[in-house]
Amino acid sequence: MRLLKALMALQESSGAVTDASLRELARAENVPLYRLQGLRSFYPVFRKEPGAPVQVQVCRDVVCRMAGGADHCHQVRAALSDRQDVEVTEVSCLGLCDQAPATAINEHPVQGTAARIRACATGDQPLPDAPMPDQAERGLTDPYRAAEEHYGSVRDLIDAGSPDAVIQALKDAGLRGLGGAAFPTGMKWDFTRRAPGDEKYVICNADESEPGTFKDRVILESHAHLVVEGMLIGAWVIGARRGIVYLRHEYGRARRALETAIGEAYRTGALGESVFGSGFAFDLEVFVSPGGYIMGEETALLEALEDRRGEPRNKPPFPTNAGLYGKPTLINNVETFAAVPAICRHGADWWAAQGAGDYKGLKFVSVSGDVARPGVHCVPWGTTARQVLERCGGMADGRALKAFSPGGASTAFLPADRLDTPLDFDAMQEAGSALGTGAMVFVAEHRDLLDVTLAQVRFFRNESCGKCVPCRIGSHKAVEMVEQVRAGAAPTTSVSLVELHQTLAKTSICGLGQVALLPLVDALRTFPDDSSLQALKGGQA
Amino acid sequence: MSAEQVNLTIDGRDISVPAGTSVWDAARALGIDIPALCHDPRLRPVGACRLCVVDTGQRNLTAACVRPCEDGMQVVTDSADVERHRRMLTLMLLSEQPAESAREATTGDDMLYALARRYGIEAVDLPDGAEGCPRGADQSSPVIAVDHQACILCDRCIRGCDEIQHNNVMTRTGKGYTARIAFDLDAAMAESTCVSCGECVAVCPTGALTNKAVHGLWLRRGEGDGA
Repeated sequence: MRLLKALMALQESSGAVTDASLRELARAENVPLYRLQGLRSFYPVFRKEPGAPVQVQVCRDVVCRMAGGADHCHQVRAALSDRQDVEVTEVSCLGLCDQAPATAINEHPVQGTAARIRACATGDQPLPDAPMPDQAERGLTDPYRAAEEHYGSVRDLIDAGSPDAVIQALKDAGLRGLGGAAFPTGMKWDFTRRAPGDEKYVICNADESEPGTFKDRVILESHAHLVVEGMLIGAWVIGARRGIVYLRHEYGRARRALETAIGEAYRTGALGESVFGSGFAFDLEVFVSPGGYIMGEETALLEALEDRRGEPRNKPPFPTNAGLYGKPTLINNVETFAAVPAICRHGADWWAAQGAGDYKGLKFVSVSGDVARPGVHCVPWGTTARQVLERCGGMADGRALKAFSPGGASTAFLPADRLDTPLDFDAMQEAGSALGTGAMVFVAEHRDLLDVTLAQVRFFRNESCGKCVPCRIGSHKAVEMVEQVRAGAAPTTSVSLVELHQTLAKTSICGLGQVALLPLVDALRTFPDDSSLQALKGGQA
Repeated sequence: MSAEQVNLTIDGRDISVPAGTSVWDAARALGIDIPALCHDPRLRPVGACRLCVVDTGQRNLTAACVRPCEDGMQVVTDSADVERHRRMLTLMLLSEQPAESAREATTGDDMLYALARRYGIEAVDLPDGAEGCPRGADQSSPVIAVDHQACILCDRCIRGCDEIQHNNVMTRTGKGYTARIAFDLDAAMAESTCVSCGECVAVCPTGALTNKAVHGLWLRRGEGDGA
């Protein structure tokens, strides 16, 4: 973390990480120059030369593309082309899909058209305050009514609980990783607890960056104390003394909320050398990511924390046994940690009873796209996609639904006739997709499905780290092949997207490459009659 | 103290190896040749090229060079599926290669071209990524030619520079499709701290790093130039 923090400090203080500053840093830290170049050039936050004083970052990904139109980025650029003091860049999903089309002006979120972006970027209009999350809606997994009660779960555990009982409760509750991978949480905690070694770590993966996903931002902004407590309980269970929240760079308000919660926890004795006087020590800090979707891949995240390029590791070994600095490391998503205090306080049965029917627990969903009221909702597991849509006011402008993605860019789109599928990992899989992070993107009848799914593939291509061949080259070729067909050019290959996808899915190191072509390739199968996809069918699919 | 042994089968043949042995090494001990471009027994394996993928019965294929053998593992190194994916990976790499390989033209041992021959690839049936050589070249060094277009980012030169020679000069720079190798803070090779030891050329599997002809090269300025 030391080198990346030093680079971030340079970037922040002088607007760039120059060659001269890196030479100085190399001498001071006694590291070779190449290592610093590897870092500076990998992470998008760093730039070699300072830019214009006003930085306008326009989201180019699917939800904002739907809201702003395919030429939205171009329009923003054109609207500001006369301003020397403004630099416009197109960036990957900002995690503001509920405020689409989203732009960040000097890291401040702004929603709207090119004209509004210009007004805000030039100072003609003040920068707006981002809407505050609705506390009541998001409070369902908070077992506390007042701040004085915070950390009650961990206090009780330290007094009279047992680590094994916590693991059992998580297993009984049926809690699975809510960052998309759905690995059983109790099992992960058990592996990490039983992994040999005195030095262990707890890491919260708060690098939420997948288009359509913004629930972790809202949880952190409104209930950071639950995340802190979930990590604290994890540390107590596995025997860790140190924890790190790996937070995505763009989440400024979440960062402030988290730092406030951590400060408060230190003041009240929930964190520090002796948690509530028990002798159990736990220190927690926030590490702000220097950027990039791939950092949410847990081993890429570990590489960053070890001051290397964020390129995923080959697994096994898994982080539960060999994580940060090769030590056993418990890594969970924001929402997963946030669910733990309530499960400990009220019990696994209570958690299970929150679900609909036979489904257990509560789930935060990020809803965006062509819906009347996009946003984050906390719903019982087993709620159907239709009920979620109704809760968001139905489709925008009364349009008919064409397709919906239940779990984010890495999950396949389903047709409208699967709207009664319950929100559940297995049920969504049976329906032909996956629940992923619970990022539900609804797409209306008039949309060009090829444009929508190609936007997802472009996202993965743009965010590929470049380490392994299939992802680095395959994602690029796929986009090129589709763009050739869309432009009406004669295809220059007889290789099909399906064949390409199979090689990426089977041979890529990490999940990014494995799913990079999935949204598009799967749409060819699920929507055989869609007119926009027909162009790809002539020998291409 | 003897290391713990693990027993597994590779292509139906039983083998016992010390725990921690890679599938690639175990297969080699059986005389089974698993292709690889990024792996070299002298270097720490990185599993980047994915050509050594094998089937261990899991959901995805696994890179043999980085996969430790496990007790009871059943490995298939040459199924039709595995070979199909290796061929596709070779095709992807070839679609980014320049028209001529400097290594093939000189020492004739370009490992990527050897794979192309192994898989009978004559025409590259993917969009051409090498037209106009967009990745460029670095001819600044008097003794080593760098052709970024021929680079497959296998990381061998970087590990050779770092781990065999301990010269600490090379890195990958950038990210994703446009990533490439670089020296120091992305300096020209001749202006970097490179000492021209030649290790990167020796370990490079393609035409990305090759020796330049030294005929007529003056070793010291002024010598023989009449000055």
